[in-house]
Amino acid sequence: MSVPSLSRRAILGAIAAAAFAPAIAPAFAQDAPVRIGYAIARTGPWSAGAQVTQEPNYIMWAEQVNARGGLSVKGKKRMVELVAVDDRSDMETVVRSYERLMGSDKVDLILPPWGTGANFAVMPLAQKHGYPMLSPTATGRKLLGMKNPYFFALLQQPDRMMDALAEFLAARGAKTAAVIYVDELFGLEQFAGLEASLKQKNIQLVEKKSYPIGVKDLQPVLNDIKSKNPDAFIALSYPPDTFLITGQSRAIGFNPKLFYTAVGTAFPVYRDKFGPVAEGVMGLGTWNPKSSAATKAYFDAHVARWKKEPDRWASAHAWAGLQILEQAVAKAGVDRKALRDTIANSEFDTIIGKIRFRNGENISTPGAVSQWQSGEFEVVWPPQNATGPAYYPKPAWK
Amino acid sequence: MSRFTLRDSILATLLAALVLSAMPWLMSDFALALTLTCLMYAGLAVSWAMFCGATNYLSLATAAFFGMGAYVTAWGAETLAYGLAVLLGGLAAAVFAALVGAAVLHLRGAYFAVITFGLGELVRHGITYYEKAYAGTVGRVISDPPETVTIYHTVLLLTALAVVTALAVRASRLGLALRGIGSDEERARTLGVDTRRAKVLAFSLSAFFPGALGAAMAMRWTYIDPLSVFNPFIGFQTVLIAMVGGAHTILGPIASSVLFSLLTEYLRLQFPYLFLVILGLLLILLVLYLPGGLASLLDRWRWGKSRA
Amino acid sequence: MAFWFELVATGLITGGIYALVALGLNLQYGLMRIMNISHGEFLMLGAYLTWLGHTVLQVNPILFLPVVALALFALGVVVYWLCFRRIIRTAPAVEVIEARSLLVGFGLLFLVQNAAYLAWGADLRGYSFLTEAVDVGGARFQVNRLVVFAFAVGASLLLLAVLRWTLIGKAVRAMMQSPTGAQLVGIDTRFLHPVVFGLGLAMAGVAGALLSMVYEISPGMGEPYTVTALIVIVLGGLGSALGSLLGGFLLGLVETFGMHYTSPSLKMLLSYAVLIGVLLARPKGLFAR
Repeated sequence: MSVPSLSRRAILGAIAAAAFAPAIAPAFAQDAPVRIGYAIARTGPWSAGAQVTQEPNYIMWAEQVNARGGLSVKGKKRMVELVAVDDRSDMETVVRSYERLMGSDKVDLILPPWGTGANFAVMPLAQKHGYPMLSPTATGRKLLGMKNPYFFALLQQPDRMMDALAEFLAARGAKTAAVIYVDELFGLEQFAGLEASLKQKNIQLVEKKSYPIGVKDLQPVLNDIKSKNPDAFIALSYPPDTFLITGQSRAIGFNPKLFYTAVGTAFPVYRDKFGPVAEGVMGLGTWNPKSSAATKAYFDAHVARWKKEPDRWASAHAWAGLQILEQAVAKAGVDRKALRDTIANSEFDTIIGKIRFRNGENISTPGAVSQWQSGEFEVVWPPQNATGPAYYPKPAWK
Repeated sequence: MSRFTLRDSILATLLAALVLSAMPWLMSDFALALTLTCLMYAGLAVSWAMFCGATNYLSLATAAFFGMGAYVTAWGAETLAYGLAVLLGGLAAAVFAALVGAAVLHLRGAYFAVITFGLGELVRHGITYYEKAYAGTVGRVISDPPETVTIYHTVLLLTALAVVTALAVRASRLGLALRGIGSDEERARTLGVDTRRAKVLAFSLSAFFPGALGAAMAMRWTYIDPLSVFNPFIGFQTVLIAMVGGAHTILGPIASSVLFSLLTEYLRLQFPYLFLVILGLLLILLVLYLPGGLASLLDRWRWGKSRA
Repeated sequence: MAFWFELVATGLITGGIYALVALGLNLQYGLMRIMNISHGEFLMLGAYLTWLGHTVLQVNPILFLPVVALALFALGVVVYWLCFRRIIRTAPAVEVIEARSLLVGFGLLFLVQNAAYLAWGADLRGYSFLTEAVDVGGARFQVNRLVVFAFAVGASLLLLAVLRWTLIGKAVRAMMQSPTGAQLVGIDTRFLHPVVFGLGLAMAGVAGALLSMVYEISPGMGEPYTVTALIVIVLGGLGSALGSLLGGFLLGLVETFGMHYTSPSLKMLLSYAVLIGVLLARPKGLFAR
């Protein structure tokens, strides 16, 4: 995946897909194509996440649907046309782009932008214009607290993910834990969830520290935590820090029974960079190609299309969101009010299992814990979703 | 603009504002959003040029003022009326600028640029830390934001006010003092100008508008967090627009913000992958072959006309 | 004792990189008044070149350093000819050079950063290189960080030596002190300017190459380093090469000690507080004459 000529081809492919999207729709299709709009970060700080987890799935889905003869709209097949722009990782550009898509272009459907903040910014517009949004990369109780009837969050919410982690720790008899978390809404909400879950399971929190995003060195902090010798070390981290924390923990020989880093651990680049060092590291994950035949098919299609693997957490949620949209449109068509009601009140089959929403929250997908084992991010908790047994205690750093 | 009197210019500004105020009922949502972006940058660039253009000081504090205003809105959203929040946002930035200005306005050139940028970052990290430690959050939700039309009219009003203020400052003794500082600060001082007072006053005045604009614009984003409202790019872009337009003028930055916003948007929609590369190239060519900025085009055109 | 040693060493390692990034920028500013805001983008190019060399050509990143330095030097000469030569020739005053070069720098920033997004995509990239740890004086360090430190300080000292003892270095220092005087004694700026600009980019490229051995890389990675470099050169004094070196170390130490004795969350707050404190006490930086 790290061969650059291939990745460049992928980008060029994406350019072609976006620029010639209308041309993909064959001329013999009788009905006008279903126009689906979105703005997403192709440049700037949000793009690293958006281009791993989100946009590749959007494009691949549109291509697959069109290859199947189009999107089934209440029994009629219509081609999909993506209307896509770069939001430059800028909030005002996000708002302006969706105002254009919904208010001026009047596209049939929208797909959400990347990240919690941008989703917040689009939510009022979605409600005003009545566009349902199925968001794969927005997390936080605050989002759901908006009680926006058009907003649906696919990710497991922080308390759910952290409950699963605490349950795992309790089942394995861990007594103490140390936590560091990033100074962002994500870190704070995950930490709040984790603190409550650990307390409930009587696991003692021996250290909690926060750090700013973009930190370049955490060795002193990690040394300090190492000296407290906790059973579990949990870093509620963002991608660059996830790599930093792993590398430096190994360097100082800090090898607790459970070593957990958050966002980025499920990215294939984590394994590619660390190789055998990743063995036994746990993190936010939900699925892998072994979870089911459907995830295997998705995984293979993604690798074939993009020459790179999808991440083992939110990529599947992004795909599940598209599957839900497809199923709901088949039933309710592109009448968006009916579509919203269908999404809100039905159960859907997706690659991460059945999904049903209550007040905009995905209440079907359980929280999960995954662990790198011989090059695959195995789901190790909860038992009914596990693809393999957990290594606990974590093996020594390689 | 020398042939227009101050009163003519102010009347022209108010007339333009009046015409623009009808746009929400004439334009599509998107065209309105685009006009809003143009107005926001016009307001930011004109107020930046008000101080920096005349004095040749390079301030990078715009993002700090903008973010401070936004946070006043975020903190006051539950308790303050919208108009009051915007006013307080502007005042907070102005007071901050006065305090800071008194401390750092003896620095010049790159030192001043870097310290103003540093102060902005200091405020951003300070707010992040305060919010986390005492409010238990880093982002704030605006639960009941005003309508887009209201925000549009606020931004229009603020921008018009910025232009009128810039015109008035330029025609005043303060403007004279600032230009004196710009051409030779030592000489201005020996001629009896209280340079420190003039600088602090003008710096503070020029900070009011980005503060108030930040307070108004952030309402559109529902969710306010330090990274998005203290976005250094807003500050950089403002400097860029003002300088490309010609920072010693008022019309230059306005023309440049319209051109820049429209061009960026056009390129973004036409060339979704290449647009920033094209923009960078255009910018370099513009500086190399039109070094005096857009204002110099205007001068050239006027000169040609007066000769004819 | 080992604990103190580790804290100081960690700070110096961070500071060494800061110094290297800042030196290149300071050289360009000191000599030509070019405030190259796109400095970090060239650092990013150096990082990507090294990553390509390592993953595609399987070349050891350390052996690849001279290639990166040469490539960026050549690029620097070209960029100077295309973008900055005209500005320096036509600008009536140094303030004008500063302002116009800042704008061109913004243009280059857009251009280079987004060309990188097109070429390599937005994904984080990285490779493992010398990640094993060693004991030094009772403290543990990753070997790659030590390598980075050694090369960053080595390159910085090399530059200082060149400036101090070679003919071209003397010419550069003469130019920094008095541009017209230097021209009078026959220093050829048409030769010196592109060479020094290229040297600045070569330093940025080497810094990027070194960083890629430790951190993940992405097209947007350069911007924060530009900001840090600006802080360092202002701390140390514009045009003072030694100042940049010491300023870099100072900032690294402040960050490390600050993080340990207060909270990691206060790290940035402390760095900026130190910057502002220094500038208030010494308006021309710590080491300006």
